[in-house]
Amino acid sequence: MKDIFSYLYKVYKKRQVRTDGGVTEETAVNNSWRQLPIVQSFPFWGPPFILMGFFVYAAVTWNFALSLTEFSGFGDPDYSNLGLQNYATMIQDPTFWQATWHTVILLVVFTVACLIIGLALAILLDREIRYGNTFRTIYLLPFALSFIVTAQFWRWMYNVNDGIVNQFVGLVGLGPYNWLGDPRLVLGSVIFALVWQFSGYTMIIYLAALRSIPRDQYEAARIDGANTLRMYRRVIIPQLKPAMVSASVVLMLFALKAFDFLYAVFDGYRPRQGADILATMMMREGFNNSEWAYSSTIAITLFVLSLGVIAPYLYTEYKRGNL
Amino acid sequence: MPLRRDIIKTAGATSLALALAGCAGDDGAGQEGSVEVLHGWTGGDGAEAAEAFFGGFADEFPDIDIDEQPIGGGGNQNLDQTVANRLQSNDPPGSFAGWPGANLERYDGVLGDVEEQVWDESDLASTHAEEAVEACQFNGGFAAVPIGSHRMNDLFYNVDVLDEAGVDPASITDIDALVDALEAVDSETDATPMAMSLASWAILQTWAVTMLGTQGHEAYMDFISGNGDEAAVRETFELLEEIFENYISPDATSADFTELNQNVMGGDAAFIHEGNWVAGAYINEGLEYGSDWDAIRFPGTEDMYGLHIDAFVYPADNPTPEGTAAFLRYAGSESGQIAFNQYKGSIPTRQGVATDEFNTYLTDTIEDFENASQKPPTLAHGLAVDQSTQSSLEDALNSHFADPFDVDAVTEEFMDIV
Repeated sequence: MKDIFSYLYKVYKKRQVRTDGGVTEETAVNNSWRQLPIVQSFPFWGPPFILMGFFVYAAVTWNFALSLTEFSGFGDPDYSNLGLQNYATMIQDPTFWQATWHTVILLVVFTVACLIIGLALAILLDREIRYGNTFRTIYLLPFALSFIVTAQFWRWMYNVNDGIVNQFVGLVGLGPYNWLGDPRLVLGSVIFALVWQFSGYTMIIYLAALRSIPRDQYEAARIDGANTLRMYRRVIIPQLKPAMVSASVVLMLFALKAFDFLYAVFDGYRPRQGADILATMMMREGFNNSEWAYSSTIAITLFVLSLGVIAPYLYTEYKRGNL
Repeated sequence: MPLRRDIIKTAGATSLALALAGCAGDDGAGQEGSVEVLHGWTGGDGAEAAEAFFGGFADEFPDIDIDEQPIGGGGNQNLDQTVANRLQSNDPPGSFAGWPGANLERYDGVLGDVEEQVWDESDLASTHAEEAVEACQFNGGFAAVPIGSHRMNDLFYNVDVLDEAGVDPASITDIDALVDALEAVDSETDATPMAMSLASWAILQTWAVTMLGTQGHEAYMDFISGNGDEAAVRETFELLEEIFENYISPDATSADFTELNQNVMGGDAAFIHEGNWVAGAYINEGLEYGSDWDAIRFPGTEDMYGLHIDAFVYPADNPTPEGTAAFLRYAGSESGQIAFNQYKGSIPTRQGVATDEFNTYLTDTIEDFENASQKPPTLAHGLAVDQSTQSSLEDALNSHFADPFDVDAVTEEFMDIV
């Protein structure tokens, strides 16, 4: 501790001396860059910066470079002749547009449904119902399971002949439906399963936010004559906005890369017609067809979409001074 | 007492030294290690066949150690991906199981040549069927050795269900007779007439055999060589549409063929068209060939043998060239082919192999193989077209012909792709 203080004092003295101009130029140059806060803090930001820079940003840049080549099959990519031909092919590829459309539907419907159901569950649990903690665990449990496991569950439950979902709708005289086979139903079925798995997560985020709202506000709203609906709509839910924003960013980013669930449900890179998303198309082009450059092109598209999701969030956080 | 910093430094230096030593270790070894072989036979008859095959090798070559790596799942998808990753990162195994023929094109640049060491030394070219020899040739040499062949133009059926429906299988000699038989099963029994999975590779396989049966061998060969007749392609799709619309089960789009084959075994479905690996399931289940289940040729392909070949492929920069060559010579030998095929439910591509170890069904198939007038290469299993073409055809089927069925769109795409 003593050492630190004496060191800080020395730094302080040197700075004072420098402002007086009483130090030789050589020492000033020698010391000045070492004294810069950015240099002094290097041990703290340096390692993560280098690791992230190498493993994330350099990888993204390399991926972009790959997407400009014509790399396919085995061997090494040829970087001497770069061009946007893969992007041109992609724009004309109907499979790409179909996958993009499905990705967008998945993203929007999944996120909105998770937010609404999560909010409803959180409000119910926040009302101090009996066995609230047990219910909370039950609702959160699906989120703790791996997608490979839940995908297998849903495959069984969606089975046309003896799946429980068809047994259930059969009780009211409907069906049987081919949930995972009918192109009109398949995306909805996948979204439903994902919402089941993720609404527990949104519930926990909302619940934490709800618990941080002082009880006085509920009472004040009551005393002012607000009914329950009005109280939540006007007083409580507006205060959940930050929780909603961060939860929706996480959900949307997940939706963009919802690969593992589809892979497990359809047992491969080619989902049923109607459920192909960009992530599965990217894997198929890369690892099925060895079209590495084209696969990288789709990856860059996904990356841009992710940026589209996260950039507004980062911007508002920056504006608020949270970054 | 050492400072914490010193301890950390020492630990860091030690682990770095160990890591460097680990890297150097590979190059330091002067002798060949064990021969690594990747394959996808992890369950049922495949696992049994692999056990007999690798066990046989260990008996014959006790000095060569085989590092067998079974990678199952996803209908060889996981295996193919592992192989691709290994080859991509210049870390090839000794050998891996894969389809020869046009499928080898995807490995262009990373395959080695075993013509001298394996084919010439064991005289495989004169002992194996000419189609298998041709399929293993690559870039002027040999990049693979065939291990066995499944028949791709069988139509299997449950004998009891056909009896109940009053259908005589011998009468099914053209596609109209097949449709009549399906209709009879549909009206006379509770069974599903045709067990059919609408997985894209299964549709592609069924399309190919229907084209062979209705349009003939020449039309099929023209199609796979890129000179397809649009009318022939369309008519094949129209026939399939009729069958798929009326005679397959409602879970066809989501069930895989093993589940559907269970229905044939249990008497809940009458016919199934698949590669003859389904017969392995019947035999494992203890069902009797001829009295419980039987097979006819898909109508119209009676004098053909739908050709499929499994092979062991030889990557370039082989880590164990000597050991792998010995292994491949064994794969092409009579003992290797018998050990593998009798359990796998496939037949040897080697000619004149003693058939005493094979069951009646396979003995019949071996005989048919030798007598077939034509052996059209399979479209859905890598022999006829390269991987990217096959994948595009499957994409087209998945988008336009996997319920609902759009004959115009899928015909147009098929004509464009090949």
